[in-house]
Amino acid sequence: MKRRDFLKAGSAGLAGTILGGTGLISWTPRAHAATISKTFYITDGFITQPDGVSVYFRGFSSSSNGLNAPGEHMIVQEGDTVRITVINTLGTSHSFVIDGMVDSGRISGGQSRTIQFTAGAPGSYLYYDGRNAPYNRLTGLHGGFAVMPQGSSNQVYSGSPTFVQQYFWVFNECDPAWNNAVRNRQTPSGRYTPRYFTINGLSGRPPGAPGAMDPAIDSMADPRTKLDGHLGDRTLIRCLNAGLAKHSVHTHGNHMEWLTSNGQVRPAVWEKDIVPLDGNGGGADVIYPFDPVPDAWPPMTNTTLRQAENEGRHSAYPMHLHDEMTQTAGGGSYMFGAMTDIYFHSR
Amino acid sequence: MFNLLKNKPMMGRRRSSMGGGGMDGGGGGGGGGGDMGNACYVYPIRPAEVPALDPNPDVVFSRGVDMNIPLTMDDGNVVTMWGFSDTANGGGMDGMGGGATFPSAAMRVTEGQVAHTNLQVGMMMYHTIHHHGIEPDYRSDGVGHLSWDVNGSYTYQWRPTQAGTYFYHCHTNTVLHAEMGMYGALIVDPPEGIGTLFSGGPNYDVEVFWVVDEIDSSWHTLPWTAGTCGGDVGLNDLNPDYFVITGVDGSGNSAMNAPAISATVQRGQKLLARYICAGYHPQRLRLGGLTGTIYASDGRPLPVPVQVTEINAVSAERYDIIFEPTRTGTYLIETDIIHWITGEVLGTTRTRITVT
Ligand SMILES: [Cu+2]
Ligand SMILES: [Cu+2]
Repeated sequence: MKRRDFLKAGSAGLAGTILGGTGLISWTPRAHAATISKTFYITDGFITQPDGVSVYFRGFSSSSNGLNAPGEHMIVQEGDTVRITVINTLGTSHSFVIDGMVDSGRISGGQSRTIQFTAGAPGSYLYYDGRNAPYNRLTGLHGGFAVMPQGSSNQVYSGSPTFVQQYFWVFNECDPAWNNAVRNRQTPSGRYTPRYFTINGLSGRPPGAPGAMDPAIDSMADPRTKLDGHLGDRTLIRCLNAGLAKHSVHTHGNHMEWLTSNGQVRPAVWEKDIVPLDGNGGGADVIYPFDPVPDAWPPMTNTTLRQAENEGRHSAYPMHLHDEMTQTAGGGSYMFGAMTDIYFHSR
Repeated sequence: MFNLLKNKPMMGRRRSSMGGGGMDGGGGGGGGGGDMGNACYVYPIRPAEVPALDPNPDVVFSRGVDMNIPLTMDDGNVVTMWGFSDTANGGGMDGMGGGATFPSAAMRVTEGQVAHTNLQVGMMMYHTIHHHGIEPDYRSDGVGHLSWDVNGSYTYQWRPTQAGTYFYHCHTNTVLHAEMGMYGALIVDPPEGIGTLFSGGPNYDVEVFWVVDEIDSSWHTLPWTAGTCGGDVGLNDLNPDYFVITGVDGSGNSAMNAPAISATVQRGQKLLARYICAGYHPQRLRLGGLTGTIYASDGRPLPVPVQVTEINAVSAERYDIIFEPTRTGTYLIETDIIHWITGEVLGTTRTRITVT
C-alpha cells in the first residue's frame, strides 16, 4: 500500500472501514465440521485518537485498502477446517499465530500464504502476529478468535454455564512513540508509557463530545462492543488483552460469572464485579446475566424497565476498566478511554 | 496547555452536558491551580428524571466533600487528600467544610435495609458517590454520563441484597478523584448482624480492614477538573511514591499497631480481614505464614471457600478472609503494589497479626 493511500484513508473513510460492525454475534451450531475460509490483508495506516493525534497502526484487515485494528473477530466450531489466507501488502515480515493451534511462520513483505488448521479446544483466543513480539501485535495486528463446542450454540466449553448471545472485548493500549518506531522499522526503545486505551479498537466519547454516539468512533455506541440485553439475556463476553498492561474489568448493574482465566476453566464459577485480565495475551470469559439489578429500590422489574423506556430513559450502566489510567486519552480526557455501556431492555 | 475540547459545544444528543465556561471560580483544595475555570463532560442533575424517594429509609448516610485532608507520611511530608465528610457526625457541609478523614467514614448497613446516601457538594464543583459492587437503579449509580454528576444536594437510594464487603467512591473524573482518596468502606452485614460474614457463612470475633492503595503525590496538586477539557495532565501514568493501608503509611511501622488494621487475636478466635484493593496497580497480599480462607469476594460468597497463603488482586477487588490461627506468634501481613505493565514491585505495605 502506498503511503499516500493510507494517509487518504486515515483522513476520511478509515473509521467506517475499521468498524464494519457485525452487531450481536449469533451462532448456529452444525452437526458436522465445515471448512471456514477467511482472507486477511496486512495493511497499515493512521487512526486519529480522541485528542486529535494521528497514530500509526497495522492490522489484519478485511480489504486491501482498509485498516482493521483489531481484525474482525472470528467464530468457528471445534473440528472445523479453518483456511486463512494472509496477504501481506506491507514491506515487512509478519505471521499469523493462534497459540496452541497454528503458526504460519514468516510471511515476507509482499507475499501471501494460505494456512489450514483444525479448530482445537473450545474457547477464546487471540490471533496475532508473533513476529517482532510484542511490537507488531501492539500496533494492531491481532483479533479475537472463538471456537464453539461441537454442536453447541450456548456454551463456552462443554458443560459450561449457558448464554444466549456473545461479544468480544479485545483490549489494547498504545504508546505512539512505540508505534512510530515500528513504522520506521526500528525496535521501540524507551519506557513504554501508553497514552491511548481501546476496546475493540475504539475508545469512549462521552455525551456532548465530538463523535459521541458515532458507532465508528465511540466505544459506547459500537454495536460490537456495547451490550444490549433484555432481562435474562445471559451474555458471554470474551475478554482478551493484546496490550501489555494488566487490567481490572469492572461492570456495573450485574456481577459477572467468571468462567475462565487465560484459557483455563476455573475450578468454580465466582460472581465478580471485577475480573482480572492479564497483559500480553491474557483472557477471561465472563457471562453478564442481565438479571434485574439486585440492589435497586424499588426493585427493577420488566414493568419498571418498560416504564423507563416509555419515558425515554435508558437503564444503562458502564463497563470500564478500574485501573483508571485506562479511562484517559493523551494524559487527560476522562471517559475517552477503554469503556463501554450496558443497556437493559424490557422483554 | 493543549486544550482540544473546551470550546466545542457541549450539548449532547442523548443527554445535555455542561458548557465549558460554566465553572468559573470552581475547584478547591489541594493547592491546585491551572484550569480550575474549566470543567468539561460533567452532567448536571435533570430534575424531571430524579426518582421519588422512599419517605421511610432504614438508614441515612450524609456525606459532604473535603478537598483538603492533610495526610502525614512517615517521611514527614504532608500529602493533600480529598474525601467525603460525614456531615451527620460533625463533618463540613460543603466543599470547603473540612472534617473528613482518609479513607472516608465507612458506611455500614444491614442486608435488606433501604438506604439513602445524601451527598452535599459545594458551589462550582461536581462529584458523585458510586457504591461500588452495589447495583441500584441507574439514577442511584453515581455515574455522570449515564445519569448525572452532583452539584448541590442529591440522595442516592439503594437496598443491598447480599452481605459482604463493598466500597464507595467518587465517579466524577474518577481517575483523579478516586486516586485522591475519595473513597470509604461499605459493609453490608447479614440479618444476623456484625460477627457473621453472610447468612450461612462463617462467624468472626475480630475484624480488620486492609484497604491498600498507592499514591502518586505529583497528582495531588491537580484541580478537580484536571484533564476533563483535554490536555495532558499525566493521568495515564501513575507513578506512586507512597503506599498506604487503610489511610496509614504502610511502608514502615506505622500500621503495625493501628486499630482495625493490625490485630491481636487469641488462639481459637476467628479473625476476619476485609481486603480491598483500592489502588489502580495490581497487588499481591502475602499472609506472612498464616493460611487464610477466602469465603467471599466482591460481595458474593464463593461456591467453595479457598485456602490461601497469598492473594493476587486487581483494582477494586475485595476478598473476605477468615483466619483461625492455631499457633502463637507475630505474623507480618505484606501487600506488594506491582506495576501494571512491568510487574516490578513498586512498594509494600506492612501490618501484622499477633496470635496469643
Ligand atoms: Cu469527585
Ligand atoms: Cu469502583
